[in-house]
This record gives sequence, structure tokens and C-alpha cells, in this order.
Amino acid sequence: MQEQFGQKNQSFEFTGSGWEYFKIWIVNLLLTIVTLGIYSAWAKVRRLQYFYRNTRLDGGSFDFHGTPQAILKGRLIAFGLLLGYNAAFEYDPMIGLGVAAVLALVMPWLLMRSLRFKLYNSSYRGLRFGFAGSTGDSYKAFLLYPLLAMFTLYLLAPLAHQRIKRYQFDNSRFGNASFSFGAPVKGFYILYLSSLAVMIGSVLLAVALAMMMGSGAAGAAGIVSGLMLAGPFIMLVMLVAMLVVSSLFSAYMQNLVWGNTALGPHRIFSHVSARRLLWVRVSNFIGTVLTLGLFMPFAAVRMARLQIESMGLAVSGDLSGFVADQQLNATAAGEETAEMFDVDISF
Amino acid sequence: MSTSPSDASIQVAAAYYDGQTTASRAVQLSIGGGDLLLRGDALELRWPLGEVHVSERLGNTPRLLTFSGGGHCEVNDQAGLVQLLAQVGAGRHWLDGLQHSLPWALTAMVVLLVAFAAAYKYLLPWGAEELSMRVPASMLQKMGDSTLETMDEYLLKPSTLDAARQQQLNEAYAALKTPADSQLHYKIIYRSSPEMGANAFALPNGTIVMLDGLVELAQDDNEILAVLAHERGHVERRHAMRMVLQSSVVGLVLAWYVGDVSSLLATAPAIIMQAKYSRDMEREADVYAEQTMRANGLSPCLLGTILDKMEAAYLAKMKEKHPEAGAAKDNSAMDYLSSHPATKERMRLMCPDK
Repeated sequence: MQEQFGQKNQSFEFTGSGWEYFKIWIVNLLLTIVTLGIYSAWAKVRRLQYFYRNTRLDGGSFDFHGTPQAILKGRLIAFGLLLGYNAAFEYDPMIGLGVAAVLALVMPWLLMRSLRFKLYNSSYRGLRFGFAGSTGDSYKAFLLYPLLAMFTLYLLAPLAHQRIKRYQFDNSRFGNASFSFGAPVKGFYILYLSSLAVMIGSVLLAVALAMMMGSGAAGAAGIVSGLMLAGPFIMLVMLVAMLVVSSLFSAYMQNLVWGNTALGPHRIFSHVSARRLLWVRVSNFIGTVLTLGLFMPFAAVRMARLQIESMGLAVSGDLSGFVADQQLNATAAGEETAEMFDVDISF
Repeated sequence: MSTSPSDASIQVAAAYYDGQTTASRAVQLSIGGGDLLLRGDALELRWPLGEVHVSERLGNTPRLLTFSGGGHCEVNDQAGLVQLLAQVGAGRHWLDGLQHSLPWALTAMVVLLVAFAAAYKYLLPWGAEELSMRVPASMLQKMGDSTLETMDEYLLKPSTLDAARQQQLNEAYAALKTPADSQLHYKIIYRSSPEMGANAFALPNGTIVMLDGLVELAQDDNEILAVLAHERGHVERRHAMRMVLQSSVVGLVLAWYVGDVSSLLATAPAIIMQAKYSRDMEREADVYAEQTMRANGLSPCLLGTILDKMEAAYLAKMKEKHPEAGAAKDNSAMDYLSSHPATKERMRLMCPDK
């Protein structure tokens, strides 16, 4: 914790434990299966509450207020959409394409409602978060830019990604304070291009090594045996490279997005280490496989700890000055209306 | 702080937030006169207990006391809060005990593992069988046609068997009395395949593909009938359909469970498990063949005889292809991973006198 000009860095803390969460997880999983999946909505609320309440900042903890009923409703809608989509394709591919187009048209609106649900139901020190993104902007972020990226052979994909993040973060609120998002498009391009370069570089390296191994033996037989060896070898190198690159990408993406976001006068910082992220991912994967999945709650706690504890707030002054947004509270006043239209479609 | 539950002077430290600002105020909670009392610096509040919502215990996370008029308290002193609430006999959430005890967690784990194993062993085959028996014949026809189309394209060659011989076998097969009548249209088609050698297999629509190699291998037409009866057993019991249903359900469940880990990893076990199923199915088809043979006054041992020959022919071919592998491996060692149960075991079951 360092202090300068009335500013101090306040890190997020995560106080969850793997064993503690395991006990909650397994009992809720059993109930989910016994109720044929219906209880999963209650289990999800409990999971989110466990992780939110274990996340602390400056002595206060976060909380999740969503009701299982709203989550169940969201899941039923998602399930219905999926079923209708598959049934339509089964019936007639043309109708299926029509349904897909309708889904694409509805999706941005659904995602917007989902963000609103998630943020409105999150709180810190008794104050709710909120989301003020407009429907029009959600269509730009979730439909227009992705389509642009597609039609430019993904040359604009980093731009589209930045626009989605900007829509999410710039429109987030805490009480009457706004989040501001300043991650430049340039940062996204650098991250995408360097990941691509590392990926291509490792494939080329693998091919070169394979050719060297092959040229050891003479003649046509040497080339054939080299090729036979090269296939699995290149696959292995690709797999390792993919693992490394995806960890680098996620770590730097989190740092880029959160590290360029501020809440009112308080700047957020994020320093996830790619090396530690890679280690947590690989060890989580091995643990999950070896225990037939029983390690999953431990894995979730480890991942949350890494991601949350790498972040913090450069607090200017102190954190007690946030005030509830009267207007936001008024619009969400009937929590009933909020629950009627706000759905949670994320799993 | 007193430890006596009846003592009204129990106090618990908490942080109070009014819901309008993020200002945190240290307070002491106590209960008096049916109300919850909050006392802090220049702050004294009281709420009727009926207007206070206490969050369920969730591990070691802070407990939240929310007041219906807005505002809440965050309590980190777990034991203290339990004592405070015990004073007024506040109930616990019904899951509280279950979610926080190791014995219950282990019990849930064992129940889950047993439930999964039982569902896999009994529920899945039963469900697939029930469902497959309800699949309309038109769908089976479609499945069979498309399978044959693919196989004709990549695996099978036209038969070199002359028409008279084919006719002779068709008639023998048509004359075979079978245990149960079905709505499927059974017929034999003739093909050859150097790769597959002496073999025959059934398609879901009742068509049995007979390879030239098998006709040549058999010394007695009744041996061929035994194989045909066995293959017909596969069709009658809807084995192909059941395999498709079972492996897709296993794949779905694994994909859901393993989630983001890897879909590749999810398919591998499904394939291995599927091999085990088809072993059970082979036995089922054997039973069907045995009944058919007996109903026609033929010895069920004939199936064993021809299976033995098919296996010998197969091993000889493998040896020819890979002479460096040396002597044929002990068949029983391959038993677990192979989809065909060891022939010796099948013969013993079908033909105990031999």
C-alpha cells in the first residue's frame, strides 16, 4: 500500500477457501441433479453470493441480490430459444436460417438486459451497481461491429472487441458515480497481433525442428519418417503454444480492460501475471481430470483468487463518498418490474 | 461479551451502511424488547426483529442483516451472531447444516458417484432401449440407407458370388423360423471387402450385408444361417440405434460436466465406454441366434464353430499384414478393449455341451 498526494492503492482481497466451497458446491450439485436441474438457479445464486461476499475492498464486501426465480426464467428462455433453433433447422434449413436471423436481432437486446440484471443485482457497501447502456448502442456493440469484423476478414475484430468492452464498462455505474473506460483501440490491436505472431512463430519453429529431425536420415525414407514424426510433434507444439498464448491473451486482456478503467476519481489497476494464470489453468485442468471433476470447486476458488487479488483501486480520498443514484433507484423501484423484464441468460 | 444464551447483554460488532452512501459506521448489535438495537458513535437505531432479514450462512462470508426500510449491517463475527440469534430462537436455513459439514459433503459425494454409476449402468441402457423401440421404421430405413451408401463408397466392393448361390442363401434365410415377427423388412445383400474379409453385419433397417469371404469360409450353409440369425438379433434389439442414443447422451453429459476443459477429452471416454456396451449387445444377439437355431432344429453350436473360423481367419490376416508382430496375442488380453467378447467365452455360454 503506497500513499501519495492523498492517494492510496487498495487491493481487492479474496477470502474464499476451496474446502469451504467444495462443501457448498457438492450439496447444491446433488440437489440440482435430484430436481432435474431446476435447483441449479438456487445453486447459482449461492455460488455468486459465495464469491461476491468473499471479495472485499477496504473492509467492505460485495453482495449479489439476484433471485433464483429470475435466473430460472432466464434459463428457461435460453433453453427454449436453443430448442426452437434446433427444431427449426431440423424442420427446414431455410426456416432455421430465418430463426437464426431473428435470434441475432434479439441477442443484443437480451445481452443488454442481462448486463443490467447482473449489475443492478450487485452491490458494495450497501450501494447497488447499475447499467445505463442504451438499446441502440447495444446493437452497435453486439451486432454492427461484429458484422463489420466479419466482412473485413476479421481485420476489424480488435476494434469490435474494444467497442464491446467500451459499451460494457462505460455504461456501468456505482451509485451515482460512473465508470469510465479508456483502453485504446491500439492496445487491442497490439494484443491481437502479438498473440497471432507468437502462434505463427511457434508453428514455424515446430515445422523447422521437424524438418531437421527428418533430414537426419537420408533419401526418400528420411523424408517420409520425418513427416510421420512431424505430424504429432507439430500438434504437440501447437497445443502448448495455444495454452501459453491463450493465457497471455487473457491476462493482458484483463489488465488492458480493467487497468484503463476508473470509477469516478478512483483509477482501477490490474496486474494479472500470465505465468501464474498459465500455472493455475494447467494445474486446475490436471486436478479436475484426475479427480473426475471433484476438483472443480477448488479450481474455481484458485482462479477467482488470482484474478481478484491482482486488482485494486487507486483510491483518491476515501471510498465512503459514493451516493445512491436516486433516479436509478426510482426506475428500478418496483423490483417486480425489474424482475419481470430483466433476465439472466448467462450460465 | 457474555456466553450465556439467555443473557440479553450479548453484543456483536458490525458495520452499518444506510444504503444511501458508502459510509461505513462501526456499531454494536444487541437484542432488546423484541427489537434489534444498533449502537455506534452518535448513532442509535432499532428495528423490530420482524423487519430484519438475516442472510443464510455461506461458509465464512460476512452475514448480512438487511432492514426492510433500507440499510444493512455486515457481520464478520460468525459465532457471535449465532449466539445473538439464538437468544430469540431464530431458525436456520434448512441447508445450513448440510452445506457446512464435511460428513454431509462426503455423503453427497458418495451419493452422486453412486447415482452417476447407476444411471450409466442401468438408466441409460434402459432409456435407450425404450426409446429405440419407439423409433419409427421409416427412420431406421433412412439410417440404414445412408450407412450403406457411405460404406459402398469407401469400404465395400460388388460381390463376385453368382446369382444362383445368392438365391440359394436367400431362400434358406427366408425359410428360417424366427422367434418374433417384426415390422422390418429383412433381406440380404451381397458385397465383398478385402479389408474386412470374412464377415457380415446388420444395418438398422434389417438389411444384412454378407461379405463373400464369409460365404467362402463356411463349410455348411447352416453356419451362415447362424451368423444371419446373430445379425438379425442386432437389428431386432435395435443395437445400432441404441449405440447412437447412448453415446450421444454420454457425450452431452460429459460436455456439460467437463464444460470448458476440452471437448476432445469428453469424446474419448464415450468411445471406450461404448465398446463395453456393444459387448453386452453381442451377447444379446447371441441369445437371439441361439433361440432361432433351436426353433429351427439346428445346433446353436454352429455359431461358435463359424465364429472360431472367422477369428482364425482374422488372426491369420493380421499376421500376414504385420509379420513382425510375431505370434497372435492372447485373445483374452484384448477382451476389455475389444467390442467383441472373446469367442471362447461366447461359445461356452451358447454351447455348454462342447
